Amino acid sequence: MSDPLLSLVTAAALITTGMFVFWPERGIYWQFERARQMTERVLREDALKHIQNCEVQGEQPSLKSLAGALNISTNQAADVISSLHSHELISIQGTEFHLTPDGRDYALRIIRAHRIYERYLAEETGFDEVEWHTRAHRHEHQLSPEDVERLAHRLGNPIHDPHGAPIPAADGSMAYYENCTELNQLPLDTLARIVHMKDEPEAIYAQLVAEGLHIGQEVRLVESSPQRLRFWAGGNEHVLAPILAANIAVIPITGEPNKTDESPGQPLTNLKPGEDVQMVAISPRIRGAERRRLMDLGLLPGTTIKVEMESAGGNPIAYRIRGAVIALRKSQAELISVCPEVDECHDLDMQLEEQR
Amino acid sequence: MTIQSSASAENIIQTAQSLRWEVGANFHEKLMESIYTDAARIAERAITRPGEKPRFDFDRTLDRIVTSRVWGFPIMVLLLMVVFWLTISGANVPSSMLAALFLDTIHPFLKNLAANIGMPWWLDGLLIDGMYLAMAWVISVMLPPMAIFFPLFTLLEDFGYLPRVAFNLDNMFRKAGAHGKQALSMTMGFGCNAAGVVATRIIDSPRERLIAIITNNFALCNGRWPTQILIATLFIGVLAPAHFAGLVSATAVVGIALLGILLTFLTSSFLSKTWLKGEVSTFSLELPPYRPPRIWQTIYTSVIDRTLIVLWRAVVFAIPAGAVIWLIANITITDTSIAEHLINFLNPFGLLLGLNGVILVAYIVAIPANEIVIPTVLMLTVLVTGATGVGEGAGVMFELESSTETLSLLQTGGWTLLTAVNLMLFSLLHNPCSTTIYTIYKETGSARWTLVAALAPVLMGFTVTFFVAQIWRLIEGLL
Repeated sequence: MSDPLLSLVTAAALITTGMFVFWPERGIYWQFERARQMTERVLREDALKHIQNCEVQGEQPSLKSLAGALNISTNQAADVISSLHSHELISIQGTEFHLTPDGRDYALRIIRAHRIYERYLAEETGFDEVEWHTRAHRHEHQLSPEDVERLAHRLGNPIHDPHGAPIPAADGSMAYYENCTELNQLPLDTLARIVHMKDEPEAIYAQLVAEGLHIGQEVRLVESSPQRLRFWAGGNEHVLAPILAANIAVIPITGEPNKTDESPGQPLTNLKPGEDVQMVAISPRIRGAERRRLMDLGLLPGTTIKVEMESAGGNPIAYRIRGAVIALRKSQAELISVCPEVDECHDLDMQLEEQR
Repeated sequence: MTIQSSASAENIIQTAQSLRWEVGANFHEKLMESIYTDAARIAERAITRPGEKPRFDFDRTLDRIVTSRVWGFPIMVLLLMVVFWLTISGANVPSSMLAALFLDTIHPFLKNLAANIGMPWWLDGLLIDGMYLAMAWVISVMLPPMAIFFPLFTLLEDFGYLPRVAFNLDNMFRKAGAHGKQALSMTMGFGCNAAGVVATRIIDSPRERLIAIITNNFALCNGRWPTQILIATLFIGVLAPAHFAGLVSATAVVGIALLGILLTFLTSSFLSKTWLKGEVSTFSLELPPYRPPRIWQTIYTSVIDRTLIVLWRAVVFAIPAGAVIWLIANITITDTSIAEHLINFLNPFGLLLGLNGVILVAYIVAIPANEIVIPTVLMLTVLVTGATGVGEGAGVMFELESSTETLSLLQTGGWTLLTAVNLMLFSLLHNPCSTTIYTIYKETGSARWTLVAALAPVLMGFTVTFFVAQIWRLIEGLL
């Protein structure tokens, strides 16, 4: 029989090695996979995207900005540029470089793949919002144009990604919201709707998500100074640095504000057992299958909800909805806004009725 | 003409495109929402309810009690313990009756019959000792507990109590990334894993359902309880003074079952953070009103739907297993049976895991049904050790009446306390039986997830038994 100490040490060593190699995201195997995927083609495609992005924003791309965006050295960036040039995807004039029509087509195709894939992640998978961008970034290079078209068809040919960025059409044309402005430039006390939250840089996007902001929300700027912006959105007051707010695009709302969107209510979690409330809206952050599920259960604007009981563990709470007792988790109930004062809700109801 | 019409078509498309930007992001949902809302409004106007019917006070009071922070969990544990106790103690009598009928009466009768009509020994062995015995064993061990457990479980379900269990436990399952209803499929798994896997249909969220299916095998099923109880009694119970023996061995078995529950949570949590991260996850749980259970209907449906169907599948898988067991014990290559070749081949690996070749071979041939592991182990041990006076010949599975005889036979086979402990662990942590694997495939429709569900527990079993064995030996060497 083998020596137990020896076999223990061997097994421990094997397991450690295995973990070292296969640990999710950080293991050697995954790093190797990523490095393998960072082929010349991927670098070229990312570079095209960067140049396209700069052109849209009216900035001049440079070797330095390219190196920064792709996380490579300036030397490598120069290699990429000369390779792009030899493929006639860009034209070089002095130190400036511009996309050729072919290059622009190519860049838009990659952007299309990226945004459609993000849309797919949002609608049909359970990945967390902050992961969409990185995942789509990995997949945009692997999807063939046919894959992209199939995916687009399945998703009902969406016109923008889940952050509100427009998806270029298959023919390369890209529409965008007219009259949209950055949140910084919105006049004070004007009602506007968030239509786009840029998902790059990721750190800023994560902060905006953490603030509870999302597209479709109505905002009103209360205070604007070079140091900070104070505004109302989703029934809460938010304070953001202008550099963060610049990543939010809004369009002013003309005409009557749609009351149901403004969510004057409070989250369902604020209720005490026995209280009666009326539902106002389900947050857009509940999407896809989960949203349909809640609607199937009869959770609709105007539905009366009553807190029935708490579970022994305290977390799912059971609500009486249209005569049935349905348990919902806190994370869900937080995203359902309700209006506790039945009178006010009644007014709302009347208004809706009149609108018809 | 054509130029004009194509130009106007382009116009229309362009208008449509720009309109899509105007209607806003989620107009599909808005539309759906307003249709639903209108429908609800119309229904409200048209339907008159004869007075608001208050919820029965009985329901409300009962709900307050069974979901209260103080009483919720104790009531739940108590009820489940009663169900298990009724199952295990109630199944003993019919099980031994069935065993007496199938193994002690019909088997000799069939043997006689075969001898009388002059059946060749190999055909008689293959058909009666192999196929018939395996089937008889599976039925007598499996049928009674299932016929008791499933109706009891269904009664609780029908009454409306089980959704409250899911409601209470959801908090724990949520932390593991799973669904509260997994508590129900897991409990069902204590009866039979195949039925537990089918029961995951109540979970409507794709990710949580996959988690429940893959981890169901960690619920110690009916087919494995007898193994656990026998080994615990033989090897662990005897360590304690005689009047504590029962208690100690029972604690050991319960410990293994609890370890299974712990692993269910750990594996669920691991899966939901790694491979299953991208699966869609939704949650909602309806708590139906309580209603008096329809006893006869419940018994009928649970016997037909759950017990008989599962039993039928098990029998279908057990018959070929019986044939294989008999064949490997009787076909010889260079004067040694295939079984012995296999055992010798697997023995070094088995010993490394604190088990032995016999156990590994028994677990391989008993993939179709966990019930025949112990009979196969005993038969193979006799085959290998050449012990005389016990058993009924090569390839004939048996169990011994007296536990001391069984113990001494196993000790002849080189069993120690370590072997026993590791067998109990391996019985919890090995691949699901073929009925369950087949059910998993049918429920998930994916060969990949079936493979994960089948292989992950074996790998965990190898790892756990290996470490237990080596650390055990290390400590033993130091003492």
